[in-house]
Amino acid sequence: LEEARRKSKNRRAKPQRKAKKTSDDEEDEDEDESPRKRGRKKKKRDSDEDEDDEDRSTKKGSKASRKKKAKDESEEESEEDNKKKKNGRNGGGKGASKKTKEEQNKDKKGKGNGKDKGKDKGKDKGGDKKKKGRYHVSYIQGIVYFKPLEEAQEFVERFEGALGKGKGRKWYAYKVMMTKILMGLPYGSIARKTVPRAEQDTAMDFSVLFDFNGYCKYSFIFYGYYNNDRMVGVLKFRLPLSYLLVGVGIFGYSLMVVVRTMARNSNEGGEGAEEGEFTFSWKMFTSWDYLIGNPETADNKYASITTSFKESIVDEQENQKDENIHLRRFLRVLANFMILCSLGGSGFLIYYVVKRSQDFAEMDNKELSWLEKNEVEFVMSLLGLVCPPLFETIAELEDYHPRIALKWQLGRIFALFLGNLYTFLFALFDEVNAKLEKEKVIKNETIWALNEYYANYSSFHNTTDIPPPNVHPADVVRGPCWETGVGIEFVKLIVSDMQVTYLTILIGDFARAVIVRFLNYCWCWDLEAGFPSYGEFDISGNVLGLVFNQGMIWMGAFYAPGLVGLNVLRLLTSMYYQCWAVMSCNVPHERVFKASRSNNFYMGLLLLVLFLSLLPVVYTIMTLPPSFDCGPFSGQEKMYDVVMETIENDLPAFIGNIFTYATNPGLIMPAVLLMILALYYLNTTSKGYQQANLDLKRKMQMARDEEKNRRNNKDSTNQVMKDLEALLPDRSLAPPPEEEEEPPPEVVVEKVAKSPKTKKKKGEKGEVDLQKEVSLAAENPKGPVTRAPGSRGAPAGNAKGTQPGKERSRGGASK
Amino acid sequence: MGSRASTLLREEEIEEIKKETGFSHSQITRLYSRFTSLDKGENGTLSREDFQRIPELAINPLGDRIINAFFPEGEDQVNFRGFMRTLAHFRPIEDNEKNKNAAPSEPLNSRTNKLLFAFRLYDLDRDDKISRDELLQVLRMMVGVNISDEQLGSIADRTIQEADTNGDNSISFNEFMKVLEKVDVEQKMSIRFLH
Repeated sequence: LEEARRKSKNRRAKPQRKAKKTSDDEEDEDEDESPRKRGRKKKKRDSDEDEDDEDRSTKKGSKASRKKKAKDESEEESEEDNKKKKNGRNGGGKGASKKTKEEQNKDKKGKGNGKDKGKDKGKDKGGDKKKKGRYHVSYIQGIVYFKPLEEAQEFVERFEGALGKGKGRKWYAYKVMMTKILMGLPYGSIARKTVPRAEQDTAMDFSVLFDFNGYCKYSFIFYGYYNNDRMVGVLKFRLPLSYLLVGVGIFGYSLMVVVRTMARNSNEGGEGAEEGEFTFSWKMFTSWDYLIGNPETADNKYASITTSFKESIVDEQENQKDENIHLRRFLRVLANFMILCSLGGSGFLIYYVVKRSQDFAEMDNKELSWLEKNEVEFVMSLLGLVCPPLFETIAELEDYHPRIALKWQLGRIFALFLGNLYTFLFALFDEVNAKLEKEKVIKNETIWALNEYYANYSSFHNTTDIPPPNVHPADVVRGPCWETGVGIEFVKLIVSDMQVTYLTILIGDFARAVIVRFLNYCWCWDLEAGFPSYGEFDISGNVLGLVFNQGMIWMGAFYAPGLVGLNVLRLLTSMYYQCWAVMSCNVPHERVFKASRSNNFYMGLLLLVLFLSLLPVVYTIMTLPPSFDCGPFSGQEKMYDVVMETIENDLPAFIGNIFTYATNPGLIMPAVLLMILALYYLNTTSKGYQQANLDLKRKMQMARDEEKNRRNNKDSTNQVMKDLEALLPDRSLAPPPEEEEEPPPEVVVEKVAKSPKTKKKKGEKGEVDLQKEVSLAAENPKGPVTRAPGSRGAPAGNAKGTQPGKERSRGGASK
Repeated sequence: MGSRASTLLREEEIEEIKKETGFSHSQITRLYSRFTSLDKGENGTLSREDFQRIPELAINPLGDRIINAFFPEGEDQVNFRGFMRTLAHFRPIEDNEKNKNAAPSEPLNSRTNKLLFAFRLYDLDRDDKISRDELLQVLRMMVGVNISDEQLGSIADRTIQEADTNGDNSISFNEFMKVLEKVDVEQKMSIRFLH
């Protein structure tokens, strides 16, 4: 089964990979020219500094990273040579021997390469699957909802959702790692890159590392590592500017990708909308695919047919339920109220816990237990674990159709996560402000100390030419780096999220399966059928988890660039892990419904999450001042000042003027207004087209019916006449009683309620068309499919007497 | 491909088949080579076992019925003429034929005849009606034991309700045609030749 699937996927994926490889070879050839030339090319590219060029160079950077290690090393050596020759800006740092520098670089390279390789695999699959992702999903939809392929769908969706969007992130990460490692200063050369003396004792402790302090904190994973020199290295790479632009560029790229996918999805959604009339008959007569020759595929097809029948049955049952409107409404209101309460409760809990963690931060690290240190993340993950099942049980009160219930459930989980995340952010915000305060104090101290030093020195040696203080980098007084702090928090959050997920699967699915299987022999009631039984694989919950993971990455990536690489690793491992878990411990859903038809729904969620995670980052870029001694923007008033600087200094004067004009509110307001109007106009036209579509469909249907009638020599081909007769419920007024005996409105309503699609189609039409549809099509039975319809006895007998082919005995008289 | 002089296709035979079924010369030779490759016994006729060697037919739930459709009543061997006669139903409808209205004798591959072929697959007792029992049989073959008998019965009933218009609790050929009128039978029930 899996092989066939994988084979078919690989077949499709191969041509794409080949294309990529050939382009790779081209790139390689390009890069085979002398390093100098390459350097010059890159330099020219960099000096443009548009976002487009950023992306292109990112691409080149990423392709370059795929070269073999030998080549990488040669690159590195040439870099070193260049550095030596041109005597780069690493003036102070030259103290360290070249050997150690190389080692350091190689270390980082090793790490980077390891990550790159992981990303390579991911990127390959991501690249292939992203483009083929849509095709895969619809292909899989077409095949089966059988358990293995539910897993496959998750497989695809994971890739599509995570790695597809992750392309942008990967490129960013490549760029960050490759270029900055190559051209930035190595570890230990300047203050911000070193662990402060005080912490050095504990820096390598595993517990500290685990907390992402220690060496981790001062590594390139986090924001604080990057120097604020305007241009770094031989190639004058504009580090701060690129950092900012790439950070913002990620969002833009992700946005584009998501919106494009949504547009593509909605175009495909137009197919398969035609059913409605002969659902069961079509399923019966046309569902087998006669070109199947492989036994495994045949089995899948069997299962798929079975599932599709089951789903139709469920659909029918849902439409036949008895309604007690008031009780239902009351129950629904009650359920919503309870859910709101729990949402509020969870938000409050998080706030409380974050506040507590701030108090803990004041206390000494060694006195806190592991639980207390990671309380916030723990609580958040736990909430994310406990609340969804709670919502589900509450939702049983509501008694919706499975598809609708699923949407509600997803919406509520979404609200939960959102609330949690934003509460977390607000609490973090307080922390950031506290750090900023502390920073001011330290800054003052540092300046004071420096002045003291200069004063002493000049008085001692009696010279005015004062060398800079010769302080080992580790001993420099360091301010708290709020950006790194934020980054650390996010990383911890993601890690704990991952841990909780793995634990849940291990306990909730695997242990449960083991217990049920083995304890079943000696237990009083049937464990497999009864209470615990095996876990079901929750596609929607998992997809939602992916979406939120992505949101957190988007938020945290700006402050912790290493987070992206971390996440890719996490995704890969968790995919294999969950693959195994599903295959060995899960059973398919009992109630079967095509949740996957709502693909655009998930994309919409992703888009929303993207916006919401964009907001905090942009806000901080615009308002908060960066730390004075860490990160690429240190020393500036605001982070985006880098852009301003570049515009002033590097670009020709008139571009600066253009920007000044463009940012004038007087220009922006009309632009916004124009966009709103365009939106409105486009919306109206699209609605108009939809209406025109419906009208055309209706016309085609009527034309076909006309022809049918003419061919079958019906005496009344006039639809309007028929419909007029149909409107008369009173039989005495109609001609021969069995002819055109229209059912009372309830059955018609039934037919309308049958499928939401038909309802939409007929919603705007008048009653006339409804009747016509009913008069020509088969009748919808009043009883559910599980009951054999017994109601046809009497009218069938009646009808047989009259002319054949004319009457439509509705059984409407007998309900 | 067997090279048996006695069973090679003669020109006159090709012409007759062409007239009867409407296939072109090259199509007939192509189908003949397929016939001979299936004919393992090399005696110029096919038996049921020969057909069952085709994997697509073997795993098809209706495979046996399709195979039966090739064999005339009560016989166990089918020669090339019979083979072609059945396959004629699957000849693709060419565009210039579609516009011809009532030909004197409807060609074997008209839409109606294609549907008739399919109809006969379901209607085992040849009474020109698909009864509830016949539907149940088909359902059981398609779905097997995964759905309870009661539900299968309801599905069958529901299908009949959808399709039945004259209330005789079975699906006649006209009703069958009505059900499938929106399905592109001409394209789906046609052999795809390469030329």
